[in-house]
Amino acid sequence: MEDEEDNRQIIRNMLAPTDYQISEVEDGQQALEAIAKQQPDLILMDIQLPIMDGYEATRRIKADASLRSIPIIAVTSYALSGEEKKARAAGCDDYVPKPFSPRQLLAKIQQCMPQ
Amino acid sequence: MSHELRTPLNAILGYTELMADGAYGEPSEKMFGILKRLEANGRHLLGLINDVLDLSKIEAGQLELELSDYSVQDIAQTVRSTLEPLAADKKLAFKLELASDLPPGHGDGRRLTQVLINLVGNAIKFTDAGEVAIKAEANKGAFHVSVRDTGPGISAADQANLFQEFQQANNAITRKKGGTGLGLAISKRIIEMHGGRIWVESQVGRGSTFAFTLPVHVEQQVEPAWQAHTGNGGRGG
Repeated sequence: MEDEEDNRQIIRNMLAPTDYQISEVEDGQQALEAIAKQQPDLILMDIQLPIMDGYEATRRIKADASLRSIPIIAVTSYALSGEEKKARAAGCDDYVPKPFSPRQLLAKIQQCMPQ
Repeated sequence: MSHELRTPLNAILGYTELMADGAYGEPSEKMFGILKRLEANGRHLLGLINDVLDLSKIEAGQLELELSDYSVQDIAQTVRSTLEPLAADKKLAFKLELASDLPPGHGDGRRLTQVLINLVGNAIKFTDAGEVAIKAEANKGAFHVSVRDTGPGISAADQANLFQEFQQANNAITRKKGGTGLGLAISKRIIEMHGGRIWVESQVGRGSTFAFTLPVHVEQQVEPAWQAHTGNGGRGG
């Protein structure tokens, strides 16, 4: 989930040559509903989201026994502000700081994807 | 503020990389070269934005150290794994000379890593042959850390201004060497907030050593003296 159209398009274009199917949502509330319905293999979680931020959305997903096993990669601003610690504390499985390099993000997705 | 400045640049960098990787069709060789230039310039601008934001945060008294336990060994290893490829590109030896009895530290390990990355990054940038070394020891409750290089050295006149903002930019090395000219000013403030100090020892032709010392246990961040009289924008130095 990601509220910036440009970032969504970059991720979409990045994944186009792969076999992954993607589903996009723009805020934390929508995300929870979509995730419960679709049971995705992996969640890319932007942290600065409107309505419900990515930390809260992550906590709720990880509190739900039927969703807990889905890996979550947090995508947050700026590497040096202590965000990684916060993301991990909220239950995110991995972390990519913005600006993400599409090349690196794709590598991380492949790493986290359940086999 | 930071979000607003970085978001559009993130998009520019992201599209540029995808284009260079052929996500929108294979670029011609000429176009590929230009895309690489776009990416390099974008990354430089991002570095500048990050540094300017860091510095303004520090000068506004808004930077809070996140104090917790850290290990000097871990920091040095992180710095080595981050920067060793750059040293290898220039065929420089990268040495760690860490005392075996370093105690665990308490302070902002992330910010101290930032300082060391800055110092070692500079050392690699300015050294064309020889080696770069990180040395660390502890005594009397303080860490003593230094970064030594076999670069061209720095004249006494240049040393005097080195820790001021945009100093590197003033003598036009920035464009050639790709720094932002803010790294040392930020490093100085971070070390001072730990109650430490940072300095340089160098002679033209004999390499440079940047050294800092700080208490092993920092229980509270220090508000440096320069903050008391920086009402109009301020400058340390």
